[in-house]
Amino acid sequence: MPRLSDSMEEGTIVRWLKRDGDEVARGEELVEIETDKATMAYESDTAGTLQITAQEGATLSVGAKIAVIGDDDPAPSNSTTAAVEVPQPPTAPTPAIETAPQAPASAPLGGERVKASPVARRIAGERGVDLGSLSGSGPGGRIIKADVEDAGTAASASPPAARTSGGEASGRGAVTTTEPTRTQTLIARRMAESRATVPSFTLQINVDMTTATTLRAELKASAGEGQAVPTINDMIVKASALALREQPQANGAWRDGHFEHYSRVNIGVAVAAAGTLVVPTIFDADTKTLAEISAESGALAESVRSSAITPPQTSGGTFTVSNLGMFGVRSFDAVINAPQAAILAVGAVEQRPAVHNGEIEPRMLMELTLACDHRILYGADGAKLLARIKALLEAPLSLAS
Amino acid sequence: MADRPLPPPETAINWFKSMTLIRRFEERAGEQYTRAKVGGFLHLAIGEEATIVGAVAALRPTDYMIATYRSHGQALARGSEPGRVMAELFGRVDGLCRGRGGSMHMFDLERRFMGGFGIVGGNLPLAAGFGLSSDYLGNDDATLCQFGDGASNQGTFGETLNLAALWSLPVVFMVTNNQFGMGTSLERHSAQTDLQVKGEGFGVPGLECDGMDVIDTWAVTEEALRIAREERQPVLVEALNYRFRGHSIADPEDYRSAEEVLEWSKRDPLLTFGDRLIAEGVINEQQREAIDLEAIATVDEAVAFADASPEPEPSSLYDDVYVLSDEVRGWYSADHRGAGLQKGEELC
Amino acid sequence: MAEMRYREALNEALTEELERDPNVYLMGQDISVFGGAFKVTEGLMDRFGEKRIRDTPISENTIVGIGVGSAMTGLRPVIELMTINFSLLALDQIINHAAHVRYMFGGQVSVPLVVRMPQGAGHQLGPTHSHSFEALYLHVPGLLVAVPSTAADAKGLLKTAIRDDNPVIFIEHETLYGQRGEVPDDPDFTVPFGLAAIRRAGSDVTIIGISRMAQTAECAAEQLAAEHGIEAEVIDPRTLRPLDLDTILESVAKTNRCVIVEEGWPHGGVGANLAALIGEQGFDDLDAPVGRVTGVDAPMPYAKNLEQISFPHEQQVIEATLALFGDRKRALRG
Repeated sequence: MPRLSDSMEEGTIVRWLKRDGDEVARGEELVEIETDKATMAYESDTAGTLQITAQEGATLSVGAKIAVIGDDDPAPSNSTTAAVEVPQPPTAPTPAIETAPQAPASAPLGGERVKASPVARRIAGERGVDLGSLSGSGPGGRIIKADVEDAGTAASASPPAARTSGGEASGRGAVTTTEPTRTQTLIARRMAESRATVPSFTLQINVDMTTATTLRAELKASAGEGQAVPTINDMIVKASALALREQPQANGAWRDGHFEHYSRVNIGVAVAAAGTLVVPTIFDADTKTLAEISAESGALAESVRSSAITPPQTSGGTFTVSNLGMFGVRSFDAVINAPQAAILAVGAVEQRPAVHNGEIEPRMLMELTLACDHRILYGADGAKLLARIKALLEAPLSLAS
Repeated sequence: MADRPLPPPETAINWFKSMTLIRRFEERAGEQYTRAKVGGFLHLAIGEEATIVGAVAALRPTDYMIATYRSHGQALARGSEPGRVMAELFGRVDGLCRGRGGSMHMFDLERRFMGGFGIVGGNLPLAAGFGLSSDYLGNDDATLCQFGDGASNQGTFGETLNLAALWSLPVVFMVTNNQFGMGTSLERHSAQTDLQVKGEGFGVPGLECDGMDVIDTWAVTEEALRIAREERQPVLVEALNYRFRGHSIADPEDYRSAEEVLEWSKRDPLLTFGDRLIAEGVINEQQREAIDLEAIATVDEAVAFADASPEPEPSSLYDDVYVLSDEVRGWYSADHRGAGLQKGEELC
Repeated sequence: MAEMRYREALNEALTEELERDPNVYLMGQDISVFGGAFKVTEGLMDRFGEKRIRDTPISENTIVGIGVGSAMTGLRPVIELMTINFSLLALDQIINHAAHVRYMFGGQVSVPLVVRMPQGAGHQLGPTHSHSFEALYLHVPGLLVAVPSTAADAKGLLKTAIRDDNPVIFIEHETLYGQRGEVPDDPDFTVPFGLAAIRRAGSDVTIIGISRMAQTAECAAEQLAAEHGIEAEVIDPRTLRPLDLDTILESVAKTNRCVIVEEGWPHGGVGANLAALIGEQGFDDLDAPVGRVTGVDAPMPYAKNLEQISFPHEQQVIEATLALFGDRKRALRG
């Protein structure tokens, strides 16, 4: 099982793109693997005859054997986790078993055994928690009781619990149960962990976007055919990046009892896709022009929608912007994308009466809500950051540098 | 030593009956062993009947008798029911020890037969313990401890004789010298072959008796018991005899010649004592045969009794591992019969 | 309550039981005139006389055998073997007879015998005089095994041992003889067999300490709480047979983790046994493998520095406990 993201501990074989016994060339796509972040096509790094040892649907630890290419060379040199056979059903059953002839006798079928303590297994069984969706905090990454209990909190925070109803009569009518994807499970866990462990506070501020919207309208009017025009969100990304550059304590993380500060300002932009949420990263947003940011974010959003996003594109963020303004939401409180220090929640730009130059007049207003991890970003620092973002957005020419 | 006078006729006949019973019992036990009715080891006392019966005859009912792994005869001589002895050999619930001990571990508390013991020399300290109890409790019970010539080389022999003499315990130690420690002859296993002197250095005087002669054995043992009981002086008695069968059923007897066995068989204690009883008019030939037939019938009954006795219930497996009480309500035991644990009390 | 030394508590138990039951007698090397190698029986000869306080020759196997024989025939012997090391000479009588006589004779007799003996390392006595053999005797069905770690338990358990109708291996600890502790005055005070003592309540990990190691475990638990925020529940089983497995399992069900501390060797040790029992009976309660801290797998060396690293101290208990926590210990500390 190749490691395809920084946080990947295990992956699920979605689909073999080659058949058992096929001759494969170096660089050919072999298999689609669902990681904790995305579904990836994995290319062969060697040539030879393919012997598939892990079937579609199997979930295996990084380093576990999924196939052998070429002569009998079963030991993956970069194996980090010993493969252990376990009679565990695949997380997502697929009808593809017939496509692969019987695997070599020596190769275990089925998924990698999840390393969990006995009491964790028992409680997970009682509560219907999928151990495969958890990462362990015990010695050697073992899932222990507390991990399952934490996940129990997450399960109650996320939408429908994954339990079959068994057709029982219920005040809620028939219950349809679906298994979350790996990504959904990961989102559930990370959000719950963030809410449960991060001492957060929120700051709100009103931003007068009249100038910015006027500027954008002008840019749009002067833009040529097919030329991208920065969105309000692109401006917010740029403003945030510049503000973060000036306020380095906000461009960091509280991690394992230490402050981490990052030299690069990488803004994650939450993008909704069918049934999931992906946060692609705009790297070095502080040094990029609005046009560059605009082009990049457009391409990333498209990748998300077509499921072509790759783990490197969703890693490395130091700050996140989440925008629900397009739905008319005036303001909201976002969950910090831990271990980042803060997340900026962006509401809709609305025309509202406001006092401007001593007169009440219609203005384009927008509410920003900054959620901060108080362990690294304190009230005044958060307020300064937010005020700086406001100032930049209200003087949008400063973003066009 | 055949010159010792016969005891009163009734006594003499009882001894003869007892010796005959042991002989027929042992023969039948050997036969049942070959039919796989008896498991484990089977040590027969054929040829040693005079030593057993003569020694036991000298005991009071309240005296303690303790012997070795060759002890069916001692149990029978003490009066244990032959059926219960045979049932023990068969591993049945009506055995003297409910099938827990087998051939080597007969025991009958009621008759103060304090056991056969499987460890050579292991019974000597226990005998001293019985003697200590008698002494401590201030009664005049004595203890007779039989063991073989081989056991006289064990550390417990010297340790126990020393302690018994030191503490003036009323114990008679009888070394049954059948001249082989299993397959090793006396000359090859003991530097001092005159076993009765082996106790002197420990303060235990020695006596000797003809273990092939029931009367001599009785007379010497009785004197030894008197000394122990009245003078609080332990005594070592050497009873010289010969076992006609191998050490156990599994013994091919390669270590001695057929001629030697034949020579000794002329001194067969059952034969010579029977001949003497007839010669002195205590019994006639018909009576001898009747006694023999009676013994055979008794043994037949014993076999039938043992055959009819059920095997111990598996649920009784943990019985008597402990005395259960308020203090020891049970104990945890890992049990091979099931995956889990068993709490002892729940099986009792 | 009176404060007294462990050896004085034992002496008091012997005195009271000798007075209570005339069939109780003591037997051992140098217990009478000399007062015992560790002075446990001091003064008893003057009070009860040589008939009941009996000096013996150096004949361990026979001394125990005499004890068994006299126990089979009405007496209640309490034997002192000078140290547990010498009990190896008496193994035949202890195992083949004391433990098995009742069973192999179908329950016709019982053996109300106590064999008292101290064990333990730490006095630079080298390989033959530093053994810890509770596991050896625990192995044998038919024996009861008591391992008192406090003065009160020394007295209460010894009185129970003397009154019990089974053979009891009563293992004292050389290092504990001089330790003081509160002991109830009540002459009827006894400590029942098969009832573990919870020395310290805790919620995060169960630490089981055998014999002196119960004290080591308690000290380690205090440090774990102070320095690592880990609240350990410390259990002293007090008797290994009968074993209060219920208390241990209840604790593990609560804490989900367990460490066993013993002075003896690791292979076939008490910890190995308890770990197996907990694995069999409490598997679904475990958050980590059962940890063990034992004496090292070597004979006991003479050199002081080597000896000191050959049996467990608080630090090893702390390390073994922390090893069960992984990342969680950070959370607990916070």
